[in-house]
Amino acid sequence: MSTAALDRQIRPIYDALDTGSNKSAIVACNKLLKKHPKNELVKALKALALVRSQKVEESLVLCDEVLEEKPTSDAVLTAMMHVLRGLGRHNDMVTMFEEAYKQQPTNEELGVQTFFANVRANHWKSAQQIATRMHKQFQEDRYLYWSVISSVLQAKDASTPKTMRTILYKLAHRMITSSPTPPYLNADRFHLHLSILSELELFDEARKLLDSEVGRNICATSLSCNEVRRELWKRQGLVREEGERAEKLIKEKGDRNWLEFLAVLDATFDCLVISPTDVAPTTLEDAKKECATRVQETRVLFTRVAEEDGSKDRSGLLALLELEKRARDHGVSEEPTRLVDLMERYFNEIGDKVCCFEDLKPYTLLGSDEHCRWIAFLERVPSMFSSIDGLRRFINAYKFLRHSLTSSEITADTESARVALYAKKYMEALPLGSDLPTTELQPADDLVLLAGNTFISLWKLTEDDNNLFKAASLLEFALTKSKQSFLVRLMLIRVYRLLGAPSLALEHYRAMHVKQVQHDTLSHLILSRASTFSLAAMGDLTLATECLESTQIYLSNSQETGDFVVRAFTGEKYSQIPQFILFEDRLENSLQRDTVKVEHLRMRLTHEPITSDIIDMELIELKFIFDRTHHDNRDFDILPSYQPRISPNLNELTLLLGRPEGHGWLSTFLQVYIRAFQQSSDLDDTVEEKLLIGDRPKQTADYDRHLSLRERLCEQNEEYLKTLTSDELAFVHYARALADWLEPYHDYTRPPPAAVLAEAAKQTELKTGHPLKGIDIPPNGASHGQKKDEEPPAVRDPPELVVKHFEKLKMRFEEVQSKSPVDVLHVATLAQEAYLLFIIESLRFKPASVVKVNKLGGLVSSFKCIRTGAISVLKEISSELIKRADFEGTSEGPKCFIGLEELDPDFVLGLSKKVIDARKKVFEGVGKGLGRITATYAS
Amino acid sequence: MSVLRPFKASDMFKFNNINLDIWTETYGIGFYLSYLSRWPDLCCVQEAPTGRMMGYVLGKAEGSNAEWHGHVTALTVAPEYRRLSLARRMMALLEMVSDEIYKGFFVDLFVRCTNTVAIDMYEGLGYSVYRRVREYYGSLGIGKGGRDEEDAFDMRKPLSRDPNRRSVRPNGREMIVSAHDV
Ligand SMILES: CC(C)(COP(=O)(O)OP(=O)(O)OC[C@H]1O[C@@H](n2cnc3c(N)ncnc32)[C@H](O)[C@@H]1OP(=O)(O)O)[C@@H](O)C(=O)NCCC(=O)NCCS
Repeated sequence: MSTAALDRQIRPIYDALDTGSNKSAIVACNKLLKKHPKNELVKALKALALVRSQKVEESLVLCDEVLEEKPTSDAVLTAMMHVLRGLGRHNDMVTMFEEAYKQQPTNEELGVQTFFANVRANHWKSAQQIATRMHKQFQEDRYLYWSVISSVLQAKDASTPKTMRTILYKLAHRMITSSPTPPYLNADRFHLHLSILSELELFDEARKLLDSEVGRNICATSLSCNEVRRELWKRQGLVREEGERAEKLIKEKGDRNWLEFLAVLDATFDCLVISPTDVAPTTLEDAKKECATRVQETRVLFTRVAEEDGSKDRSGLLALLELEKRARDHGVSEEPTRLVDLMERYFNEIGDKVCCFEDLKPYTLLGSDEHCRWIAFLERVPSMFSSIDGLRRFINAYKFLRHSLTSSEITADTESARVALYAKKYMEALPLGSDLPTTELQPADDLVLLAGNTFISLWKLTEDDNNLFKAASLLEFALTKSKQSFLVRLMLIRVYRLLGAPSLALEHYRAMHVKQVQHDTLSHLILSRASTFSLAAMGDLTLATECLESTQIYLSNSQETGDFVVRAFTGEKYSQIPQFILFEDRLENSLQRDTVKVEHLRMRLTHEPITSDIIDMELIELKFIFDRTHHDNRDFDILPSYQPRISPNLNELTLLLGRPEGHGWLSTFLQVYIRAFQQSSDLDDTVEEKLLIGDRPKQTADYDRHLSLRERLCEQNEEYLKTLTSDELAFVHYARALADWLEPYHDYTRPPPAAVLAEAAKQTELKTGHPLKGIDIPPNGASHGQKKDEEPPAVRDPPELVVKHFEKLKMRFEEVQSKSPVDVLHVATLAQEAYLLFIIESLRFKPASVVKVNKLGGLVSSFKCIRTGAISVLKEISSELIKRADFEGTSEGPKCFIGLEELDPDFVLGLSKKVIDARKKVFEGVGKGLGRITATYAS
Repeated sequence: MSVLRPFKASDMFKFNNINLDIWTETYGIGFYLSYLSRWPDLCCVQEAPTGRMMGYVLGKAEGSNAEWHGHVTALTVAPEYRRLSLARRMMALLEMVSDEIYKGFFVDLFVRCTNTVAIDMYEGLGYSVYRRVREYYGSLGIGKGGRDEEDAFDMRKPLSRDPNRRSVRPNGREMIVSAHDV
């Protein structure tokens, strides 16, 4: 067949792939392969279709075949690039392109692709070498710059030793100065050049660039170049020069960037910044005098700005405040009343803007006389308001007053009085916004948020859930008036979770339309410790699905962000490349991502049958996670906290179970599950290495490399354990005791790696028709029941911590009955989890043959006791929960909630019913789920 | 009082107080990265001294010949920081870069016909309606808004390269085009 004819037959395969019809693509490939069994392109396309239909093993076979041929054709390379990305094999991709480029060293496009393959795999050193070679050969400037930034990126890479960094920057510097074209051809090249000079502290050279006409122009129009310039001057200690420059901009150009004001402020106090050791007291006095003069001058400047701008721009006024504060801190202020004067002035001018509170907050730590004066001033702000501006002033005054409360002023009585006042004022203020379109936020919303904060504080003081309910009813009412207020929703989410009504929290979360990257920063609202509320055990996968949906973003990140790094190279946007890489890393290694992963695992185990497949898969994933350094991207600042300065903030007050979830929580739960899975699994490291398909992710975690994984799993970090609830801590101790006890029996019984591999190879061959590559099956195919040379370890009685665990849980369950529904559910779900962990740990010893061959009859009979005890406790908890569900809302049940007088009683009653129904649902669901688990794992 | 600085990829972790507002859309990460990988100088952020994000603008440069221009893709300020001239400052920067670096003839943008706050603001900044674009936006999903909600005004402001103001016209509100013509 002619190539044209073959091309014609290949086109439909591409079409099928483009439209996602992978099946028909495979069929078409098979047909063509019959006639052209050696055609690389068809093989590559088939491999692609297979990857996309999740037939990974089959794809691997073809993939390896094509790679062995060392392809060079553009079409094959492109197809293979997608295959290898689908398989997560970036290292193979690098090799493939490097081989091709070696064969066709004059092919520039291949050079570029090879460079990008290294970029995607973060192989900066090879990337740099390739770019250098390409620059020599093709004489294009941008290759030189690629090589420069590759060195910079290598220097920035966490795996590069510190001592290497300067050397790499020096290399980058040597290369960039060898460029035949001047650096200021475009802002991004200039930026790169400057950052290298800054890193190497080559100030004179930087100065030359910056002082040139072009250099100055670039900094005037490019914020990012100007940022590096600022950094450079700071490093060089040119504080005064920077101040003068900034002053000119403020005066002559009307620049109001706060950074310029900060520069002027820094310069004003620069004469005091001398190391105190080498200065005699007299010179210090002189310095202070000089400083005082400078403060005067700066005050003149800022005063003029403030007068010019009026309330149009708050920079001048705020700069005056900052000036006074710093003058006080340095002991050069001569006017004791000036700070409060300025605060009052600021309030008078800017008090009608929402941000006034945030702006002035840093200045409100005052001496007692000033404090009294400030409070008196705030109390005089009229509480009658006829305009929205007046209302905002009033709200700001309330926020400051609340913020400055002292501990003696925060009692149940005073907080009750306050909350009544906030609610009353809210109702009075509502009409002011009644004409606004429904898309607008209501100006009175902040009063409700103040009230909500206060109810929560009252709840902490009294432990009476009714305060939470009151908060909910007022907030729900506010939402009917201000439909788009996400701040009200955020508070409701926290309140409903505390009330044990997770389904209502979820409704509000969904109404906020959290999407894309927001999943990473906000899903904690609904998913932190979500297994407490999970109904997965009885088949309701709502929360489990929410977990999966929130993790889509990580997939997008791994699929897309690399492309944009490549695009930034193509477009020579060097300033962006390090930032994109940082962003990719923060998402890839997100704390929330892996916290949700663990939470989802906990739900999954209640829902799916526990088998060695699940255990093996999860084990590998969890181990990767355990080797990561995590970034905490969660957004807690979004919660509208209007709590007194001396109190915990809203986030801290409303954490589920009162404990934060973070690195410690994640690490501890990873230890528990990895240890249990590792014991239960037949995979050891050598087997895992052979079975692994994609590249091994980088180990970025910071730990002592001398420690073995087992040692790391057994490490106890007291700080971490402190972040757990007492019930979680008991669970962790139990898990540890269980694992310590069973470890020798697992180790003894686990089949040798060769046997495990042989079994895996057999399975693969059955599935794909091809043997597993690189594995020789031993002739006699070692089996599970093989005889061992050593005697089995002596059977020991189970440790106290294990035996007594479920009994203790029963007592604990009774104890928390009087507490919040969340506590009840927490104990119940942890009891369930403890039992499932036991199932995981004992799975290996289920087959009678295993027990017999390994002489573990004694061990297994102690299992029976534990199981019987556990099941009886779980059953009891289950029926208690179901009873409690029935009880909720009946006349003997907990009293109906009491809402606020101001609200329509029907509205309150309706909401009370909703909360009770939501609680009923979760009690019943968790109760029945537990029942199911006891039935599934009855023996 | 705010810090004006370049938009950085990791600002996506911080923009919730701005993006949870219904007038502001949150796109896939590729959207932001594609702007940053091509027009980083047309993307900037206003930040409070506390580090909290207050608002941002994302723009691009496009068109050919006399249609070469700067475009405002997204301009937004968090509700609590409105009416502090932040939008005005960010627009000034975008116009300056469109003029001096990209040498465009004008700056343009699309805005929902219902978004009167924004339209008034743009008019105050020297923009005028060039044409009305049918069904440019999807529904906001918040009830009646009808045609005005889904239609957009294409608004323009000439830059120094267009001293004769050829890129604008007086009766733009009556010039109606459909979405695939733009
Ligand atoms: C439109 C928006 C960006 C304005 O931001 P802003 O920082 O508040 O605007 P500025 O303070 O710079 O206002 C500049 C001028 O616009 C006008 N303006 C802005 N908001 C106004 C309002 N709510 N009512 C009346 N005039 C208004 C005023 O003339 C103002 O000058 P002034 O304060 O000196 O009177 C902001 O409201 C917003 O983010 N809205 C949601 C997103 C959006 O609609 N973006 C535009 C889509 S194309």
